[in-house]
Amino acid sequence: MYFRIIRNDILKSKAITLTTMIFVAAASMLVSLAAILVVNLSGALDTLMTQAKTPHFMQMHSGDIDTARLKSFAEQNNNVEEYQVVEFLGMDGTQIILGDHSLSDSVQDNGFSIQNEKFDYLLDLNGNIINVSDGELYVPITYMRDNTVSVGDKAVINGKEFTVSGFLRDSTMNSSLSASKRFLVSNKDFAEIKELGSIEYLIEFKLKDFSAIGEFETAYASAGLEANGPTVTYTLFKTMNAISDGMLIAVILLVCALVVAIAFMSIRFTLLAKIEDDYREIGVMKAIGLRLSDIKKIYLAKYAGIAAAGSIFGFIFSLMFQGMLLENIRLYMGESENSSVALVLGIIGILLVFLAIVTYVNFVLKRFQKISAAEAIRFGTSQEKIAGAKRFTLIRNRLFSTNIFLGIKDVLARKRLYATMLVVLVISAFIMIVPQNLYNTISSKSFIQYMGIGNYDLRIQTNISDKTNEIVKTIDSDSAVSKYTVLTTKTFKVKTSNGSEENIKVELGDHAAFPIEYSEGRAPARDDEIALSVINAGEMSKKVGDYLTLVIEGKEKYLTVTGIYSDVTNGGKTAKAVFTDNSANVMWTIICVELSDKSLIDSRVSGYSDKFDFAKTSDIDEYVSQTLGSTINSVEMASYTAVAFALVITVLVTLLFMKMLVAKDRYSIAVMKALGFTNSDIKAQYVSRSVFVLIVGIILGTLLANTLGEVLAGALISSFGASKFNFTVNPFNAYLLSPLMMIFTVLIATMIGTSSAGKIKISENIKE
Amino acid sequence: MKKIIIGDHIVKAFGEGDEQRNVLDGVSVEINEGEFVSVMGSSGSGKSTLMFALSGMDGFDGGKVVFDSRDLSAVGENELSDIRRTKMGFVFQQPTMLKNLNILDNIILPSMRGNRKNVVKISEKARALMKRVGIAELEKRDIIQVSGGQLQRAGICRALMNSPKIIFGDEPTGSLNSKSAQEIMDIFSEINADGTSVMLVTHDAKVAARTERIMFMRDGKIVSELKLPKFDGMDMDGRLEKVTVKMLEIGI
Repeated sequence: MYFRIIRNDILKSKAITLTTMIFVAAASMLVSLAAILVVNLSGALDTLMTQAKTPHFMQMHSGDIDTARLKSFAEQNNNVEEYQVVEFLGMDGTQIILGDHSLSDSVQDNGFSIQNEKFDYLLDLNGNIINVSDGELYVPITYMRDNTVSVGDKAVINGKEFTVSGFLRDSTMNSSLSASKRFLVSNKDFAEIKELGSIEYLIEFKLKDFSAIGEFETAYASAGLEANGPTVTYTLFKTMNAISDGMLIAVILLVCALVVAIAFMSIRFTLLAKIEDDYREIGVMKAIGLRLSDIKKIYLAKYAGIAAAGSIFGFIFSLMFQGMLLENIRLYMGESENSSVALVLGIIGILLVFLAIVTYVNFVLKRFQKISAAEAIRFGTSQEKIAGAKRFTLIRNRLFSTNIFLGIKDVLARKRLYATMLVVLVISAFIMIVPQNLYNTISSKSFIQYMGIGNYDLRIQTNISDKTNEIVKTIDSDSAVSKYTVLTTKTFKVKTSNGSEENIKVELGDHAAFPIEYSEGRAPARDDEIALSVINAGEMSKKVGDYLTLVIEGKEKYLTVTGIYSDVTNGGKTAKAVFTDNSANVMWTIICVELSDKSLIDSRVSGYSDKFDFAKTSDIDEYVSQTLGSTINSVEMASYTAVAFALVITVLVTLLFMKMLVAKDRYSIAVMKALGFTNSDIKAQYVSRSVFVLIVGIILGTLLANTLGEVLAGALISSFGASKFNFTVNPFNAYLLSPLMMIFTVLIATMIGTSSAGKIKISENIKE
Repeated sequence: MKKIIIGDHIVKAFGEGDEQRNVLDGVSVEINEGEFVSVMGSSGSGKSTLMFALSGMDGFDGGKVVFDSRDLSAVGENELSDIRRTKMGFVFQQPTMLKNLNILDNIILPSMRGNRKNVVKISEKARALMKRVGIAELEKRDIIQVSGGQLQRAGICRALMNSPKIIFGDEPTGSLNSKSAQEIMDIFSEINADGTSVMLVTHDAKVAARTERIMFMRDGKIVSELKLPKFDGMDMDGRLEKVTVKMLEIGI
């Protein structure tokens, strides 16, 4: 009997059953995909890093190198298992031509290496260590991904011809986040082109016990060994390799959470409506002595059926789509060994979704306990008092037309029903506005304050310290320059709280020339003062007024922290000071220039670029967009996707709700029509219901976006090194365009959803 | 005497093919202005369907209906709504009130459409009508807080709000006890005495006996008619006897 009741019920509400099932299927698919991706990502990553024997510690270094000293350090440190110094031949992009493309526009530091002997192997796409012959060139996989070149193409490196023989996986530099990219050539070829670029050294260690990496890092820094360049550890390699797919997984999980929430909402809505419809039947069943659990079973079984079907479809879909999402992982990292585990985990994830739905339905069905059999049979409806809105009567209404009044009144009288739609609309408004605001914030000019950059027009950066004077001389004699300053970045040792030493990058020069914004304190002005970036201050637990000890040429120098500033560049770890130093090597020098006539910026940028071909000259806006460009682009994409997603959800849910409402309200619609209300009157009432709910939803969603959303986005941004964070809102988009788009979609959906109201026949529906 | 409604050979069919059956099988009806008529018949005889057809609430398959000199089959959906709202009043067996609104709001609802500026006048009229049918104190109650008889009186008030030319009642006393039923019938008589036409659909001989013309329906046709003098409160037993005799005679 149960089966028949359920079957008839489903047949009667096909559209609603289908929509609920689609939501469940989507949620299950996403959960399963996330699980499959997580397992494959970690599996493939492990495989790659094992096959390539990724170093545990890598110090990049440019400048002279004392190999004997390094060797003795490696021999004496008993945690070192293996050690090697690898040469990385950096070459300007203009000198590298792959097939038809030159890499002159590449933002990567492209360079050449030979295959390593002990570890940090460069692998082919089958995971084998590449054995390269003379005249062959292996190209980083990134250039395969963006179709720059294919196997068999000719490549010309500084005039010397090579054949592209394949692509390589590089466990240390695969990621697009890694600034350098390694090409592989034979030993003989390497020797031939060695003079044409600048050599950088990769000092690599494999440790016996990786858990002691912290001690090793300290030991390396304390020994005063080569350190003119970034330091990277195994963990960071792993993170960089995982991050883009990790982000994808995070997004999938986030969307999944939303879809699950919406699936819950529509289940709640349909269930509440159904209970209201079946009020009398439930009362009768109670009256004739059916147990509460028996009655519940009928409703529970229906949703368990829908959830089960949805879960199965979701799983099938996830199997269909997994290939597409795994493509990237397979290409960059290879196959995972534990793909069967992935399926099992996917199924477990889906089971969790299924259980959550059944538990939720059971929870909503608790309402049955409150149904009084006597009341249900006598009145056929719940006799619960209509809470609130009692004073909102037609007779006192002076504000709205009668149709609008009736719409609003209905919402106020059945708050519980409409709350569901409201929640969905609030979520939609939220996910529409937050990414937009985030995009607007990071793409706005004022975002520069989070980058630790002052307000100037162009910057010239060079890594060759000898040539700085040449630039300064030119700038100084340029009459268009109104102001300039030279900022030199060097690495020093800093004493940590436990007495060990770490490296810190300090930018030296006059920081008053182009002041930046300090979240606390002020710029350093005297020789014994220093300002720290937010992340550095946090890691060293320093506040304004605290002391800091730098070790320069073995002598300790005490500095007072005068300020803390936001900086999202250089991993967020920087410092600023004014003292002069001639001991440490210069990592890079930046000449900041302000022009008296802003219209000259373009011509000066191109003029200086040509003149100083050893340096990078860029207009400051361009610098910002290049540094943050890819991030801005992906946030922009995300914000468009979010808008589309929110609108689709809005349409689906509004359609579903309106269709249900019309079905539920057949009787009152018939009454209205009998009393002489036209179809357009009735439509107007429904439109005002949804618009009323929508307006409340938009207001709440916007408020939430600007409070909770700002906190969330702030947390995200601060992990990159910004301090206090405020949205820069584009009012036109956030407060006009987005609400208008939502109103438009809701109106259309309401029109379509309520079109069946016109077909309701008075004579068939007016008799109870 | 001017006719308020003329129904001319109305045909209404239900079902398809061999199953098809005429619920109204060429029914012709005329109701005069100020007349108090009733339609009697057993369930399934087509009496409610006739009322839906005459009031423009439901379409029909043949014949025509002229209301207040206008051919309803030539009138659009929206205009039909306007006619129902401004010139007709309806009272149903179950009180068809909206749950969300209180009694007073339910009563004024049809008058308020596009007429909100006159709310003061409208509410005055509603209160006067409520006083007249004896429910003046109930205006702020929810519809679940009053009895069936009280609700039916409120329904009559709603029907009278726009001063209609005719009131249709579909079993208006069907769910009331006999005392309440009598009181409701008294109200209908009063309304009729003021000049409004009334057409009731009923299977209750006591209700029919209060009207001045009774049409008996069977299988979609009017099979007989009985005329009585206007009810003056006297001789209820005699009227009732005439109705029951007629019913026995035609076998319904």
